[in-house]
Amino acid sequence: MSDSINRSDSYVELRNINKHFKDFHATKDANISIKKGKLVALLGPSGSGKTTILRMIAGLEQPDSGEILIDGKVVNNVPGSERGIGFVFQSYALFRYQTVYENIAFGLRVKKVPEKEIKKRVSELLTLISCEGLENRYPSQLSGGQRQRVAFARALAPNPQILLLDEPFAAIDAKVRLELRTWLKEMITKIGITSIFVTHDQDEAIEVADEIIVTNQGRVEQSGTPQELYSRPKTEFVAKFLGNSTVVQNFERFKYFEKQDEDVTAILRPEFVSIYKKDENVQFVRSVEEATVEDIIFRGSNMEIKVKLHGNLISALRSINDPIIEVGEKVNVFIYRLFVISRDKVELIHNLSLKQETVVI
Amino acid sequence: MKRKNIIPGYGLTFGITLTILSLIVVIPLCSLVVFTSRLSLPEFLYTVSRPRVLSGYFVSISTAFIASAVNAVMGFILAWVLVRYDFPGKRFLDGIIELPFALPTAVAGISLTHLTTTNGWVGKFFYDLFGIKIAYTRLGITIALIFIGIPFVVRSVQPVLEKIDIQYEEAAMILGADSRMIFRKVIFPEILPSLISGFTLAFARCIGEYGSVVFIAGNTPYETEIAPLLIMSELQEFDYTAATSIALVMLAIAFVILSVNAVLQSVVSRRISGLA
Amino acid sequence: MELRKNSGAIKWALILLCFVFLAVFLLLPLFYIVITALRDGISGYINAITDEYALKAVWLTVQATLWAVIINTIFGISAAWLLTKYSFRGKKILSTFIDLPVTVSPIIAGLIYVLTFGRQGVLYDYLDPLGIQIIFAVPGIVLATIFVTFPFISRELIPVLTAQGVDEEEAAALMGAGTFTIFRKVTLPHIKWALLYGVVLCTARAMGEFGAVSVLSGHLRGKTNTLPLYIELLYQGYDFTGAFASSSILVVMAVIVLILRLIIEKKGKKELDNKK
Repeated sequence: MSDSINRSDSYVELRNINKHFKDFHATKDANISIKKGKLVALLGPSGSGKTTILRMIAGLEQPDSGEILIDGKVVNNVPGSERGIGFVFQSYALFRYQTVYENIAFGLRVKKVPEKEIKKRVSELLTLISCEGLENRYPSQLSGGQRQRVAFARALAPNPQILLLDEPFAAIDAKVRLELRTWLKEMITKIGITSIFVTHDQDEAIEVADEIIVTNQGRVEQSGTPQELYSRPKTEFVAKFLGNSTVVQNFERFKYFEKQDEDVTAILRPEFVSIYKKDENVQFVRSVEEATVEDIIFRGSNMEIKVKLHGNLISALRSINDPIIEVGEKVNVFIYRLFVISRDKVELIHNLSLKQETVVI
Repeated sequence: MKRKNIIPGYGLTFGITLTILSLIVVIPLCSLVVFTSRLSLPEFLYTVSRPRVLSGYFVSISTAFIASAVNAVMGFILAWVLVRYDFPGKRFLDGIIELPFALPTAVAGISLTHLTTTNGWVGKFFYDLFGIKIAYTRLGITIALIFIGIPFVVRSVQPVLEKIDIQYEEAAMILGADSRMIFRKVIFPEILPSLISGFTLAFARCIGEYGSVVFIAGNTPYETEIAPLLIMSELQEFDYTAATSIALVMLAIAFVILSVNAVLQSVVSRRISGLA
Repeated sequence: MELRKNSGAIKWALILLCFVFLAVFLLLPLFYIVITALRDGISGYINAITDEYALKAVWLTVQATLWAVIINTIFGISAAWLLTKYSFRGKKILSTFIDLPVTVSPIIAGLIYVLTFGRQGVLYDYLDPLGIQIIFAVPGIVLATIFVTFPFISRELIPVLTAQGVDEEEAAALMGAGTFTIFRKVTLPHIKWALLYGVVLCTARAMGEFGAVSVLSGHLRGKTNTLPLYIELLYQGYDFTGAFASSSILVVMAVIVLILRLIIEKKGKKELDNKK
């Protein structure tokens, strides 16, 4: 499946991993391959098994079957503390009764690193996370963002080869979250450490990760770069999960789309649709269809227009600089393309008129 | 299945826990089972159906029940007052509730006895005014058991009452409920499970209570002789068979009480969590 | 908080009821002990509590209490850690067994030790040739004391450890820390107040245990009499001043326990607020 990844040079690899929690099949035959130095997101809805995969890589859970490889070596029987990983917990799990300094120094203390070197390393990391001067604070005296950065520093202190982050932004306010995303991506790129993070937020995954692994119901659905996943989803789930997708029935009733097989549905994203006022100049005059505006949602930077077309409620985005459209107005709709799903295969179908006209021109 | 825990120390704590548990609890319990298996059924039935023994069970259960019922009411009021009201001396009140846990039962027993005899401070008052005797009657036993049981209901209801979100009550108030209705429909159902569990814990404890009761009871056969005392007197005559027989019935009673509680708790929690 | 601010007749009536109830049931017996102990003057009191047998009883009580606290602390920590940090089969049964001793009547607790170590007991034939005597001797008293206070410490620790979760321990383990490092540096700071409180409760109950110890003690004055048993002996000998004077020692201990409890609770809460 994961043709974009060359297996031979993978740094972290999962082979046919299965994991049950009592009757719950949390991970089903998972195969994952991650290259050295990549920043990878495990993306999926809650309960899709993404955290379980992360915890198995860390050694916090044992797979029932299958192999976990790090740097070419099977590590199933290697305790988590000897796998060369750093782990940032969702709750950060900072030691509440230790200062920031003690927290960051913990991993080094355990390794019996001389006190002088610990001091050097901790102050290095405090500078890196711009938390100089906070070393004597307790975790309770830090802001959410600071806690996250301290957890990050604590995980990095013993120089791990792999950094694992479980929902790193879940516990942070929306505003700070955006800043931290950028910060984390910069940090990880700067250090060059192979990193895997778990998230249920597609924007987060698309923005931060080099590669995304999409999980659903314990299975790995697809992996690849954000662009690949976005433009070439391989499964129905991925097509629906990414983007602001709407499922449409009877898509063959749309102008210039032909019916493919029996019992197929299609998925439409707002960026596949253009909406024009009746008096606007349109490139594909012959191919537009008339629809009625049902709802208009102001999204701040743009408008989402919902129109009813052949019984389907379709969304499209429109710039706030464009002429204003009102609810109930008759508008022209042009659909560029859509994903057609048949028997769990996803195919990108273009508007036929688009082909014809390009041929003509 | 190989099992690995990431946190080290599983073997160590498992070993320590199991060793001490076996020595202190499991082995003695096993010997009770072994000894029981040597009892003959007719002998067992004869012992536990002797009128004196039956009356012992009756005295223990009835006084324990009444005492626990009193404590359920008073415990609830105490918890309510401690959680909902502010008043001078609140911390003091809260502090002394634990006294029955801290004060040795025998000490409480002799003190309560002396206070309630017909020429004791309290006993004289009741005897002279109403002709009621307290010490050396079942009333005395009940008094001692009330003393023992005070903390159970309070400490069981108090934390639940503290946790009730004011939004429930506010919601009910906005919907137009008066304070009596809020109490009956909103607060009471929330604390009922903890009230039941406090009651049953106190009940189970009181049935087995010995130290505080033995002094105040007077131990008149058929009147104020409690079941634990019967076990004690059989033991003093080295009649282990009879002692064990009486004890087995008491264990069964305690087991039934605690099981009823467990069932009630699961019924209630199921209703709240919505699991069918 | 408009809703909960109902000041009025009901509030003050309930508060008054609570004060009266606790004053009659808890404070009056306490007060009475002190008054009666001092009935024969200070010198009589001092004579009573410095009696040779009284001092021996105190010493035995201290010994039994120390043992109970030490064993139950080791057990409590390891059982609480085991039950909250790992998942394994049989967890429920294990915690049922741990809680069992407090639901059993103290007399029955004594009985099962008699059945284990007594002349007809299961282990008697093995221990007697070795010259080990358990019942009617100090070891029996110690065992009974451990039994009746068995879950006191683990029960204080388990809720705290459950609330804290396993993240911090997992984080420490992932960095390669061993059992004792994790316990000392990560877990202990969380549970220290609960642990101290458990120790205080265990001490209080161990000092005062009467029923179980009464079964297992041979009632040998100066040898196997703990303080509560010694009080019973004096009381039955109509030496009321002596009995109440000795009781007052336990009353003082009980009051200390209650004060310690308040202090610990306050400190624990304060720390919790700071860390949140």
